[in-house]
Amino acid sequence: MSDHFSGPRALSEPAADITDVYAFPAPDGPDHLVLVLNVFGKSGPSAVFSDAVIYRFRIRSVDIATTGPEAAFAPSESEFIFDCSFDVPSGRSDSGRPLQKGRCLTPSGQSISFRVDEESGGMGAGVQVFAGQRSDPFFLDVRMIEKTMAEGKLAFKAKGSDTLYGTNILSIVLKLEWRKVLKGGPLFAVVCETLAAGKRPVRIERVGRPEIKNVTLSWKQFDQVNRDLDVRDLYNSEDAFNIKGDYFDVYRTRMNANLAFHDGLDGKVDWPFDQHGNHPLTKLLLADFLVVDPSKPFMETSYFEIERSMLERRPHSTPGGRWLNQDFMDFVYTLYVNGGNGLPINDGIDGPIAWSSTTFPYLAPRNPPKAAAA
Amino acid sequence: MIDVPETVPTDWPATDPLMLTDGGIAVLNLHALIEGFGDHSNTAEAAALIDLLILRGLILGHISDYDRAAELADRHVAAATTDAAAYVARARTHGVFHRFAEALGDLDHADRITPGGTATKRDRAAILQALGDYHEALVTYGTADCGRPFEQAAALAGFWADCGKTDTARRFYLQSLGSYRGVSPFPLAQLDFQLGVMWMRHGDLNEARACFEAAVRRVPAYAAAQGHLAEVHAGLGEPETAVARLTLLATSSDDPDYAAQLARILGEMGRREESVGWRRMAASRYDELIATHPAAFADHAAEFWLGAGNDPPKALHLAEFNLQVRKTPRAYDLLTQALEANGAGAASARTFGV
Repeated sequence: MSDHFSGPRALSEPAADITDVYAFPAPDGPDHLVLVLNVFGKSGPSAVFSDAVIYRFRIRSVDIATTGPEAAFAPSESEFIFDCSFDVPSGRSDSGRPLQKGRCLTPSGQSISFRVDEESGGMGAGVQVFAGQRSDPFFLDVRMIEKTMAEGKLAFKAKGSDTLYGTNILSIVLKLEWRKVLKGGPLFAVVCETLAAGKRPVRIERVGRPEIKNVTLSWKQFDQVNRDLDVRDLYNSEDAFNIKGDYFDVYRTRMNANLAFHDGLDGKVDWPFDQHGNHPLTKLLLADFLVVDPSKPFMETSYFEIERSMLERRPHSTPGGRWLNQDFMDFVYTLYVNGGNGLPINDGIDGPIAWSSTTFPYLAPRNPPKAAAA
Repeated sequence: MIDVPETVPTDWPATDPLMLTDGGIAVLNLHALIEGFGDHSNTAEAAALIDLLILRGLILGHISDYDRAAELADRHVAAATTDAAAYVARARTHGVFHRFAEALGDLDHADRITPGGTATKRDRAAILQALGDYHEALVTYGTADCGRPFEQAAALAGFWADCGKTDTARRFYLQSLGSYRGVSPFPLAQLDFQLGVMWMRHGDLNEARACFEAAVRRVPAYAAAQGHLAEVHAGLGEPETAVARLTLLATSSDDPDYAAQLARILGEMGRREESVGWRRMAASRYDELIATHPAAFADHAAEFWLGAGNDPPKALHLAEFNLQVRKTPRAYDLLTQALEANGAGAASARTFGV
């Protein structure tokens, strides 16, 4: 749930509030790419997908344009879109969940039907789709993150308290035969969006990388230019592959300020700003899409390895992307605070209530309603 | 009618049909949000949960949700004494129960912690409006404009509807529809409801029916809209339809308004035995609520005792109290009716400034 609560608009429609996006080579099938879009963090048992929202996966083949300090991706202009939509529920299942049907429109125009919560999902040409309520794979200690921000020093305890322990999300999982369904590659950029359906769909939210809006952009107090501005609704409304030049500097300034704050948490500078006054990670992070190489074998902890390899001018050795079980908060704090030049930072939470599995639909079954309280 | 200078929107919005989440899904997900926030982890989630409970109380007519929100708000303030958002959240629960002085006190406190907060201004404007201080409310709405066109237009639509300025309210209503960018049906259903109440007070029952029907189409479970629609049906000579709607509400809601309306309409239809049963239920529940939340229910209870409850002295007592809580035109009207029902003359009315 790295992106939950990411702006006032997202909160007003919880079923459109994206919590996380994942992209990884299928651990249970070669030549398959898995994409996961999670919404509605901390959802109670009656949660269902909205019938007025399009749940969109956008995929572009991407090249590495430059390496070294100016490292950058060059996404292709052509795009593959998978749109999922849902009906109004009718009746209840034996477990008490509302019965809901959905469909996924693939780039080839095929419509794949499925029943929500049915583990095998729906099947089409080179595509398998699941949608339903599952255990939230994300884990973090929000209180200690807030304390860190308030006190200006790392506040994590040896044993933290998982804010998301026992909570559920609504998840959509796509398993693609990527060589058959997509063109280009093997590097792909992935962004997920929720859009208000209608003649001219309006973007509600978009997510690529984890913890960009909340950890990296939301804090206003370090930004000397737009100290009073919650940039997240504006940021959500942008096209991830084509950010408006007018606002790019707003995000850049905010991200520079917040990354500098994090870098200083250990009392030393590991990420000196470049000659343009930018943090070395800002440009890469504002390319806010997950970059995954499904031609590489599945790996548990490979998020940002492709980007690190670009900064270090070496070929990447992992699929990059993002796997469900990676301890992301440990990773991102270590990256932001010491860049790997020190001991790994541990936020005191080492796993979720239930690990995701290596078989479709990967995410653990939903938790019973009282699991969080227990 | 209130004499406040009107500022009418000049740009008329396009009228593309809005694509909104089905009202049934919206209610399921409202329950799911509240259940999920049961173990709220931080102050932002606690404040959000308070707002969600107030919303559910409003939509489903559950007073128990308001009680839970108020209890949570007290605990929230106690746990976060330097958090302005905690005071704003508690001000909202005070507002729900018409404890306006305490609500303004909490907003003052929030302002001292975080001067100039836009949310505080909008909440303050709403309280001033509820108190009948329309001039000050309008000025405050003006300073609360934070560049969110829908929120601002919707607040002003509700304000002018409350003032009885039908044309201006309608124009802001259309501007709200044109600037809405969400998919949740709740904000628009609430707007439809506010306009329906305005037309009802204006005596235009056909316009009122159209507005309440729109609210119910967007959110079928919207109890207050269903209840007012039933009243309109009764007023338009369709009492059977009204009774069918109200019977469902009176059995599912802990708000006695529906039982009170049902008692009145059944009485007018000559179905006295059924009317007496609902009357008893409403009377008992009003007594409970007046004991716990006197300011919140004084007006509705007074209306009940003036009508189906048939206890004019009790109604007069409550109408007097209601006027102390807020000096709105409706409060003066209610007191006038209570005085007349008790046989008091014009001289008595003048002592209250009526």
